[in-house]
Amino acid sequence: MVGGVDWAVMWYAIPYMLQGSLVTLQISALAMVLGSIVGLICGFLLLSELVALKWLVRAYVYFVRGTPALVQIFLVYFALPVIGIDIPAFWGGVVALGFNAGGFIAEIVRAGLQSIDMGQTEAAKAIGMTNRQTLQHILFPQSLRRITPPLTNELITLVKGSSLLSAISIYELTRSTQLIISQKFTPFELYALLAVFYLVIISILSRISEYVEARLA
Amino acid sequence: MTAAIDPLLHVRRLSKIYAGVPVLDRVDIDVMRGEIVMVVGPSGAGKSTMLRCINRIEDPSEGEVIVDGINMAGELRGGRLIADSSTQTARKRQKVGMVFQRFNLFAHLTALDNVAIGPQRVLRLPREESRRIASELLERVKLKAHANKRPWQLSGGQQQRVAIARALAMQPVLMLFDEPTSALDPELVGEVLEVIRNLAKDGMTMLVVTHEMQFAREVGTRIVFMDGGRIVEEAAPQVFFTSPRHDRSREFLRRVGRGNADQVG
Repeated sequence: MVGGVDWAVMWYAIPYMLQGSLVTLQISALAMVLGSIVGLICGFLLLSELVALKWLVRAYVYFVRGTPALVQIFLVYFALPVIGIDIPAFWGGVVALGFNAGGFIAEIVRAGLQSIDMGQTEAAKAIGMTNRQTLQHILFPQSLRRITPPLTNELITLVKGSSLLSAISIYELTRSTQLIISQKFTPFELYALLAVFYLVIISILSRISEYVEARLA
Repeated sequence: MTAAIDPLLHVRRLSKIYAGVPVLDRVDIDVMRGEIVMVVGPSGAGKSTMLRCINRIEDPSEGEVIVDGINMAGELRGGRLIADSSTQTARKRQKVGMVFQRFNLFAHLTALDNVAIGPQRVLRLPREESRRIASELLERVKLKAHANKRPWQLSGGQQQRVAIARALAMQPVLMLFDEPTSALDPELVGEVLEVIRNLAKDGMTMLVVTHEMQFAREVGTRIVFMDGGRIVEEAAPQVFFTSPRHDRSREFLRRVGRGNADQVG
């Protein structure tokens, strides 16, 4: 750093990093959608009376929580092709991150549903609602507001976690930056800039979710 | 046909044991069509537990409950009881309305939707028809003007009337009231009792757990006194309030003031 900060290389990197950001956002959005669907179904199953499925979901959540996200990504990208499931890197990233988020979202949904006053469940039962109807029509709508803040956290974790996909050569934000560093040998400038990129992305997402939360209130 | 003389509600040896303690202890009771049974007794007597075991919001530890000829626990086949699935239990529960002490209105729904959701989701009637039914019921409990309010915008008395309408929307053959006025400010008790009184006039069969002795005496066709998880005494209101047979009934009535209007409150 004798010559000070190299501003030029930062200007040079920005267009590439914006491209990488776009991929990061695409993967994160798709993974969040997948994770929400998986998490919602699993969260409901955790409170259902379907014992076998409940047990399977517990095992899934146990696995997701008990193993590093990077290992899960490697499993999808390197191990699945061995057993004949070959998916492109981009979609492998979506699947790995999506199922990772799904495990955590399942617990968020379960906790949200369980946090609703027992009287609501009793009243629903009293008019003859089944367990599923009670979850779907009474508990879930009321839990949305409580679920939103932890879901936002999960989305932020997911965006940050997507940087791990650089390890399987997906051209997302971190990978795009690393490629320029390997050409220009300016790690200080570009990693600092990378941090700023993530901060901006996550700040924007936080603001959006605050807005959504306020609308739900 | 013996249906006409069969009791609408038939309960035998109904028990609920929590951690070795019998909260409800081998209760027998029969309720005929159109009867209004007032269940009174000290707190912890098992009154609420009895109601909750009748519609199986709680699973009884033991005993038989038959509502309108239907066994609430399952089907008898060859002398053996085949237990219902939870979905079957839910279906049977439709015929038994329940009103709770704390109203338990669905917090995310308007008054109208609180009443309409049962017909729409459980009876699977079209949305418009469900709302029409709900609207009529809200009119019956004099709350049509509040149809689009949320529970938190309503007074306790109004909430409880919505809760009664919600139960009625399922066209129950039996209504269970679990201390319907205990959570209300004194000045709101009257409007809820008025609604229950009108239901009684319309011939609804009811089991009402209450601490309103004057109301029990006026509206009840029979008083059931419970203590220690058991039914201690059953009698016509006039008999129970003027000449109770058991010491515990007498002790209870002495403490609550005999149900004389001038001593209530």
